[in-house]
Amino acid sequence: MRYLDDFSNIFKRYDLDLEVHGEAREVSKDATLQAIAKFVVEGNDEGILAAVQKALETKSPLDVINDALIAGMNEVSRLWDEGIYFLPQVILSADAMSIGIAECEKKMGKAMERKSTVVTHTAEGDIHDIGQVIANALLNANGYNVVNLGADVPVEKVVAACKEHRPVMVTGTALMTTTMTAFPKIAHQLQSVGLNIPFICGGGAVCEEYVTSYPLGIWGKECSQAPGMAEDATEGESWEAMRAKWNG
Amino acid sequence: MNGKERVMAVLNHQKPDRMPCFGANSTVTYDQMEKVQAFWPEGHQKGEVMAKQALAAYTVLGFDAVRVPFCQTFEAVALGCKYKPGKSVAGGEGIPGIEHPPPYKLDDTPIYPDDFLTRGSIPELIKAVKILKKEVGGEVLVVAGIIGPFTIAGSLLDAVPILKATFKAPDKIRPFLEVAEKAGTTLAKALIDAGADIISCEDMTASPELIAPKTYRDLELEYQKRQFDAIHVPKILHICGNVDGIVEWMGQTGADILSLEPKASARLAREKCGPDIILMGGVDTATTLFMKDADTVRRGCEESIADGIQILAPGCAVAPGTPTENLLAMVEVAKAH
Repeated sequence: MRYLDDFSNIFKRYDLDLEVHGEAREVSKDATLQAIAKFVVEGNDEGILAAVQKALETKSPLDVINDALIAGMNEVSRLWDEGIYFLPQVILSADAMSIGIAECEKKMGKAMERKSTVVTHTAEGDIHDIGQVIANALLNANGYNVVNLGADVPVEKVVAACKEHRPVMVTGTALMTTTMTAFPKIAHQLQSVGLNIPFICGGGAVCEEYVTSYPLGIWGKECSQAPGMAEDATEGESWEAMRAKWNG
Repeated sequence: MNGKERVMAVLNHQKPDRMPCFGANSTVTYDQMEKVQAFWPEGHQKGEVMAKQALAAYTVLGFDAVRVPFCQTFEAVALGCKYKPGKSVAGGEGIPGIEHPPPYKLDDTPIYPDDFLTRGSIPELIKAVKILKKEVGGEVLVVAGIIGPFTIAGSLLDAVPILKATFKAPDKIRPFLEVAEKAGTTLAKALIDAGADIISCEDMTASPELIAPKTYRDLELEYQKRQFDAIHVPKILHICGNVDGIVEWMGQTGADILSLEPKASARLAREKCGPDIILMGGVDTATTLFMKDADTVRRGCEESIADGIQILAPGCAVAPGTPTENLLAMVEVAKAH
């Protein structure tokens, strides 16, 4: 139980001296939950399982999920937003959180209740799915059910997944200008089957002017906007209202 | 001055007759392909077609250099990655990439094949440089592109595993960087022997938008230095995105020219790297060159020049659908400086 006894170095990252300085904040006053959050913040996917199993002896799975795992990931999001953390750390933290959530779900005997479903994909012809990886991590961390279609996804597959899963919104990532041309096709096909859901598009070459040139399109400037957009979509805001809010 | 003399003047810290303009990355577009009647996918894999397309940068656009190739797959494929042909997108042909899954896992030992230079389409790339040297080598500079060590290592391991390893097990990446550096350096030497005047090294995955600046300094810098030490022609280093966090170390690699996107600060680069480094860049390839009109391009170019850019260039690889008039607008601005 060393992690419960030794808090002296918690949330100090000595390896980040070259970047913006900053430390993670304490996310829970409860030592057990705080220790789990630390594993998430540090992206430690090896130590987290034992810590979660130990915590589940005395805590409810939902408390562990909400007050340690998701709270830790929210702290990671903040550190990333502020330029203290970089992409590899966000990915490692999301992995650690997922291991913890899976263990809690095992204990509950069912999947954790999610706020709503979001479908994510990277455009056909494009294997650069880093933006999608981050968006998935942040959406998961914020309690959304993410249907991850992966990279290089054909237009028809995106539309079929939306018909099947009925998400509150769909996201598309593209690095290249050659591949982002799939987005308006998806938007038009979604409309033609009556799915007027917000379609968040982002990635290297994708800009606001392009995304707002077709229906449903909302430009996602930063991955960190994804949870806020999902929240709006879950509350039933239309794509027009979301475009007005999130885009210029 | 012809294009070659103009660029060499800048490289020698002399005053050219006017600002040079060319691309550190691919500048081929569908429109240029039509004009020179050379198309993808052949342009990615056949030396004659590749050279014909590259020539368009001079004959159609009036750039001061021609450049090959137009994708980032040559070294990775020769090292065992699976080639993924460019898909037909919106009537044109797309840019090839690397197919999943990658050939290696982190605990594997990567192999550098002895017949590296004869693998994949590398012989065709070498042929294209020879043709370009013969056709226009006296008039404009021949730029040959290689891929930086971290990006090749990323192709061998896949993006997410290598990104995780930068924090969890950075030393396990080193054998991959060794092989990747050797591949890029060997290719560069062969391209120089074929007639390349400048080597342009693209290292997309080394961007602070993907890895921490500390990782660039501690892991990538020594391999990039080793590579540039071994290349005895002028070197361009291009890293995508906002490189403000690493530009100081980019200046220590031995690069003669840093190619910057407009989201990076040319002023900061000058401040951090000193007066000797030459800065190239210009307008954003997606939001300006591809999406906007010639007037917006001109304004973007003027802003970059005001920030200290000495060679006008697209900020990154040009989108194949970019209108020719937008690229011509860049040359027009260069001619006025």
